[in-house]
Amino acid sequence: MRFLYIYSLLTLFVLSSCEELIQVNLNEANPKYVIEGDLNDLSSEQFIRVSQTVAFDAPVRSKPIDNATVTVSDDKGKVYTFNSVGNGLYKSSFQPKAKTRYNLKVSVEGEVFESSSYMNSYVDVDSLGIMEDVIFSDTVYSVTLKFEDPRNTPNYYKYNISVNGKDFEFSRVFSDKFNDGLYVTHQVSDSKSEILLGDTVVVERQIIDKPVFNYWNEVLSINPGSAAPANPTSNITNGALGYFSVSSAKRYGFRIKFKEEGN
Amino acid sequence: MFRQYALLVVALLFHASLFAQTKVNISGYVKDGSSGEVLIGATVQSKETNRTVRTNSYGFFSLELDAGESTVLISYVGYQPIEEQINTTTQKRFNFELSPIGREIEEVVISGKKQNKNVTSPQMGAINFTIEEIKNVPVLFGERDILKTIQMLPGVGKGGEGSSNFFVRGGGGDQNLILLDEATVYNASHLLGFFSTFNSDAIKDVELFKGGIPAQYGGRISSVMDIHMIDGNNKKFAGEGGIGLIASRLKLEGPLQKDKSSFMISGRRTYADLFLKASNDKTVNDSKLYFYDLNAKLNYRFNDKNTLYASGYFGKDDLGYGDLFSFDWGNATATVRWNHIFSEKLFSNTSLIYSDFTYNVNVSNENSDFVIASKIENISLKQDFSYYANNKSTWRFGLNALKQKISPASLNAQENSAVNSINIEKRYGVELAAYLSHEWNPTYWLSVLYGIRATDFMVQGPGTFYTFDADGEAISIEKFSGSKVIKHHLNLEPRLSASFILDDKQSIKTSYNRIVQNLHQLTNTTSSLPTDQYVLSSKNIKPQFADQVAAGYFRNFANNTYEFSVESFYKHMGNQIDFRNGADLQANEYLEGELLFGKGRAYGLELYVRKTKGRMSGWVSYTLGKSERQFDQINNGEWFNARQDRTHDISVVGLYKLTDKWNLGANFVYYTGNAITFPSGKYTVDGRTLFYYTERNGYRMPDYHRLDLSATYEPLKENKRFKSSWSFGLYNVYNRKNAYIIDFRENENNANITEAYKIALFGIIPSVTWNFKF
Repeated sequence: MRFLYIYSLLTLFVLSSCEELIQVNLNEANPKYVIEGDLNDLSSEQFIRVSQTVAFDAPVRSKPIDNATVTVSDDKGKVYTFNSVGNGLYKSSFQPKAKTRYNLKVSVEGEVFESSSYMNSYVDVDSLGIMEDVIFSDTVYSVTLKFEDPRNTPNYYKYNISVNGKDFEFSRVFSDKFNDGLYVTHQVSDSKSEILLGDTVVVERQIIDKPVFNYWNEVLSINPGSAAPANPTSNITNGALGYFSVSSAKRYGFRIKFKEEGN
Repeated sequence: MFRQYALLVVALLFHASLFAQTKVNISGYVKDGSSGEVLIGATVQSKETNRTVRTNSYGFFSLELDAGESTVLISYVGYQPIEEQINTTTQKRFNFELSPIGREIEEVVISGKKQNKNVTSPQMGAINFTIEEIKNVPVLFGERDILKTIQMLPGVGKGGEGSSNFFVRGGGGDQNLILLDEATVYNASHLLGFFSTFNSDAIKDVELFKGGIPAQYGGRISSVMDIHMIDGNNKKFAGEGGIGLIASRLKLEGPLQKDKSSFMISGRRTYADLFLKASNDKTVNDSKLYFYDLNAKLNYRFNDKNTLYASGYFGKDDLGYGDLFSFDWGNATATVRWNHIFSEKLFSNTSLIYSDFTYNVNVSNENSDFVIASKIENISLKQDFSYYANNKSTWRFGLNALKQKISPASLNAQENSAVNSINIEKRYGVELAAYLSHEWNPTYWLSVLYGIRATDFMVQGPGTFYTFDADGEAISIEKFSGSKVIKHHLNLEPRLSASFILDDKQSIKTSYNRIVQNLHQLTNTTSSLPTDQYVLSSKNIKPQFADQVAAGYFRNFANNTYEFSVESFYKHMGNQIDFRNGADLQANEYLEGELLFGKGRAYGLELYVRKTKGRMSGWVSYTLGKSERQFDQINNGEWFNARQDRTHDISVVGLYKLTDKWNLGANFVYYTGNAITFPSGKYTVDGRTLFYYTERNGYRMPDYHRLDLSATYEPLKENKRFKSSWSFGLYNVYNRKNAYIIDFRENENNANITEAYKIALFGIIPSVTWNFKF
């Protein structure tokens, strides 16, 4: 919950003064397959990435796998084949439709990984805004999206963010556990760097299903204070890391200006 | 001829009774002559029979003597022993008063040889301290802290940098029963754990049981820490206090009726937030960051047979950021006790006890306005008897009824707030316990303490109870209304300790205990937070239990100047609790589905040498240990190290009386770093680097070590009633940056590179405190 976040923020604020880089001898585990499937109706080109884990001190972020067979089928039996386009990416051309279940199958080196995701309908945004927060005399900006949460159904939201034209990155996930059916405000910011005056911000809002929410919520809950950090629970079988999501999505653009609302 | 034989047989049969004298029991209290404060664990010894007894936690003793004239010797550490000639035909109740040894008396060799309780008592795995004994031990910020001193004893693991949390013999932090005047203290720490809730001004002494736990205690599987508050001076009005860098304290005590009744009130408050007031920023200026403690006690002696005690504690932490956010938490306890002496042999205590722990969060900003409140409380009625049958046999028995109520965090939102109110059901339970315990010294070389405790924990309604499948998904629901008993958890807890006394300097002891726990704290962070959720045993949650066996050798040297002990133990823990990945522990009605159940084992060896007398005193303690857990769903079902598993743990405490005015203290601690989970690889998801974890707690934090120094200056002004002293301290003298947190991240400039960094908490920290007494 948010107050816990503030609490740990205060703790870290107290602690962060004595921080230094250190060397830790870490084991190198056997490589594991990682599958990232984030399909949505924003475009008619869909990508899935297959890669492997690398050692902690490896000079790359991951090892792309280009020899996998990747297919997605919908609950009407239609099969979409994904073709390798390099760097671990696989591409297929179709636009998923809401209220449909999609099934993923990835085969590589004799191993088969499967998953499925339900595509929910979009929940429209009512108004947009920019929020200015002063935390310990620093001014930090974030963007807000206000909307009516559908009553009596669990809803899950995921936001990716792009600042000044950079690649989209995961920002936050929300559930309606505490605000089902209310007029809700979601506040979105960049987890890596602060949003400053004059920046251009694009936010991608996705309506996701529960396993995908759980996955990203666990990613976010891993912090230095976790008693036992663990790999986030994937919705893919056979021990693969990563996730498979099919969502309804829209993008919203903002420009951070002096005391004015963005577009 | 036959008649002669018959006479001989009769004579032999009655031999014993013909020559034995009539036995008489005397009883009474041993007190501090200057304050009237009762002394706990003082010895009363008969010179004729050489028999020794100790005062109980109310200062009461009962001793069997030969009828007629006797000499008794009364002694207590730090006090001038006295010898009294008494005549048991005229009087059976005695109150003895001892005078504290002033510092002008350099050393008193206590006559007799009964300063060897540690050797002769059947109790093992127990340590006790008076506040007086530890007042010169150096501590963080100069705040004397009983919990931090306890951490320097063998078998007691330190909770981490500056933390008052502790782990006993491989157990968890929530498996320690902490009692303040018999009331359970749920959360014994302040301000992220840097301070304990026990203001040392108000504390008389503390006893910690690590094993061989006597049958009168139950409820937590790892240890019992029994803390007694002082009663208050019933001779004269007195005060004590101190002004330190971050906290100030004041205690007042005095007689309400001389020698009969007294009061004590003691308070402490930190003022870290005063620095915030200096800020120009309005929000920072309005922020709060402080805690306070209030202890109070009243006692009234109606007559020789009846004494009434009322004591209470109230403490609160308050953290706030402007009026946007506030967070407070605290404990409250209240105890009313009635001591009644039925006869010289039968002592009774009746207690009515209440304690609670609450936390509240207030959030109010432009789109949210809500309050989160959580409370855990219990009310308990206890009846304890001690029956001093004779010099060889003491019986203790009693009953306890405890009602436990948990009100989990509920969210109360204002209208038009962006969040909904959430009400999580309260949980109720009643624990009935009965115990019988017998301390028996059949011969001079054997002393046995055995007993049994029977508990019935009743899960009570009203409430909604779920059953879960293997994945933690709710599969069925049952609703109960009224205070119907939904389930009984019946347990028998046998306890046994025995001491084989080789001679008056050495003994071998052994013990076994089973102990059961029905209240479980759910902590999934490295430090325990005030917001940790509590659950009771239920249909899904079985009571935790521990079976512990221990054996040890105890030896004193040089006329009891040095105490040495070596103990080893093995502990099995059942129905231990851990969590599923990503468990949601807050405001979750399916909370029990997030829990995993497994087992634990811990074993170790503890060495302890303590010098109790002389200019130089102190101790060295060393623990070699192992603590592991096993859960089918964690770490592929294989055993893994508990986080608090410490291979080596060493503490050295030295106190030196330099001159009459100066006392010096030093302590050094070293321990193996905590077992911890580090990544064994990395990968990316959505452009974000994630770490790949393979093994639970498969890595170690770096070893921890630290040296602290202290000096106390007490000017000699004996003629004046007002005394003051200065305490100077240096924490972490060689400024070691002990790792508090180690974490991993992408390099800021090159995302291909990942790096490890550590956060250290306290470097070298000086402190100064001015203490006064009148």
